[in-house]
Amino acid sequence: MLWYKAWLETRWRFLIGLAVLMCSAAGVVFTYPSVLKLMALVPSLDVGGEIGRRIREAAELAREYRGYVWSQGFGKNLAQMTTLFAVLLGTGGLFSQSGAAVFTLSMPASRNRLFGVRAAAGLGELLVLAVVPSLLIPMLSPAIGETYGVGTALVHSACLFVAGAAFFSLAFLLSTVFSDVWRPLLIALGIAIVLALGEQVFREMSRYSMFGLMSGETYFRSGSVPWWGLLAGTAMSAAMLYAAAVNFARRDF
Amino acid sequence: MADPFTIETAELRKHYGGVEAVRGLSLQVPTGSIYGFLGRNGAGKTTTIKILLGMARPTSGHARVFGLAADAQETSVEIRRRTGFVSEEKDLYEYMTVEEMIRFTAGFFPRWRAELEQRYLRTFELPRDRKIKALSRGMRTKLALLLALCRGAELLVLDEPTSGLDPAMAEEVLQALVAHVASEEMTVFFSSHQIAEVDQIADRIAIIDHGRAVVSGALEDLRENYRRIQLVFDGNAPEPSFRAPGVERVRRKGRVLTVVSSAGTERLLEEARALSPVSVEVVPVTLKEIFLETVSEED
Repeated sequence: MLWYKAWLETRWRFLIGLAVLMCSAAGVVFTYPSVLKLMALVPSLDVGGEIGRRIREAAELAREYRGYVWSQGFGKNLAQMTTLFAVLLGTGGLFSQSGAAVFTLSMPASRNRLFGVRAAAGLGELLVLAVVPSLLIPMLSPAIGETYGVGTALVHSACLFVAGAAFFSLAFLLSTVFSDVWRPLLIALGIAIVLALGEQVFREMSRYSMFGLMSGETYFRSGSVPWWGLLAGTAMSAAMLYAAAVNFARRDF
Repeated sequence: MADPFTIETAELRKHYGGVEAVRGLSLQVPTGSIYGFLGRNGAGKTTTIKILLGMARPTSGHARVFGLAADAQETSVEIRRRTGFVSEEKDLYEYMTVEEMIRFTAGFFPRWRAELEQRYLRTFELPRDRKIKALSRGMRTKLALLLALCRGAELLVLDEPTSGLDPAMAEEVLQALVAHVASEEMTVFFSSHQIAEVDQIADRIAIIDHGRAVVSGALEDLRENYRRIQLVFDGNAPEPSFRAPGVERVRRKGRVLTVVSSAGTERLLEEARALSPVSVEVVPVTLKEIFLETVSEED
């Protein structure tokens, strides 16, 4: 019954997230033919500075379908949306409903079990958010006469999931500290924005950052799976979830 | 053999930061009793209940339910498995329907009483398919009571069960509770600041004030032993210091001296008569008066 309760509490966030991410993935695929037509104009553009560099880089990546999917999908839209919905899934639930939390705590279930079910349900939903939109890309690509490897999509979805899980765990941890929904949500999103801005300033470090891991840049550029990044992301999430569990077990309601 | 006390606390304390919500509370709730836990708002009633059910950890002291430690995770689960609980706010899951709420709760209790569920659904006229958020306060209370009563529990813990209800609804809820307890072997521990309802259904009480029990015992014994003695003098009343046991409160007002005793009146009357009053009157004290005498600040 705890699983059912967790599903009822998070289903709209999950379903809206799934719809948004699937639309985003489909959008990346179906806009590619239009982008290709625009590519012809790029050599005539004479824009200097950072903006010009970025346009040229985007144009360079878009010459290949795989590069375009990475730059617009896994490296941008899907990463941003996954971060947002990971934080949304991590907030709320048992901790913010102080009154109903008392009812839940009156059930004969240990706090570890309550915590475990809620965390596992959220991570399960996050996994679906990471995998299904990613797999949609290889499924839809033949419709525009392109191909995209299922294996490649799965590696990117693993990167999305592991990095997304870190933001989920952060929001989950903050939810055991604050009794409202808004502070965990805003603080977790604030940290995500600061990390993203930091990457723009220190670009050479970006592939080692959380968003670098999320985009799977190492895999895209070198073809090697970022095992160390995935391991570090997993360890970070596990540490935050452990801290959240300890905090929840100690908390008075 | 059943434990003689379903709930026992000893020197129970709970601090929240600098606030001491419970200050050395010692209680013994006999198995099979209907135990009223009286106190003003903020006296520590809800905190005590939360400690008993493992929702808050005691700062020091002990709390045991069914002989099991309330502050250990494993035994706390066992305590909750054998306990029905209605919280003061009656907060349930807003997004569930009445039916979903019942199925969710029933899933935790193997001894769930399906026949009682059907009976209370009819008696309380609860609409199965209505969302909790669409229920009135009274309906929520009835549903919360149904969820507690149908667990097949040995102990029922009710935190201000009738708070926020109009008198008619409160009476309906109390009658349902009394009827249930009359037909089941169970202990009821309920907190309230509504003296009339405690008087109506409890057989034992504790009055808690500033986190500690100031009065406890069988309601009949309290009614038997508590007396008010009113002495009227010719001139201003004297300022005596009584040596008789059980003198709870002494008040002087002009020619009148009022003494409240919790241990009979025999010795006290001897001392009182020695003061040469022009009249002496002994009157029984109601539970409301006992409550007011014990929790009101000293003059």
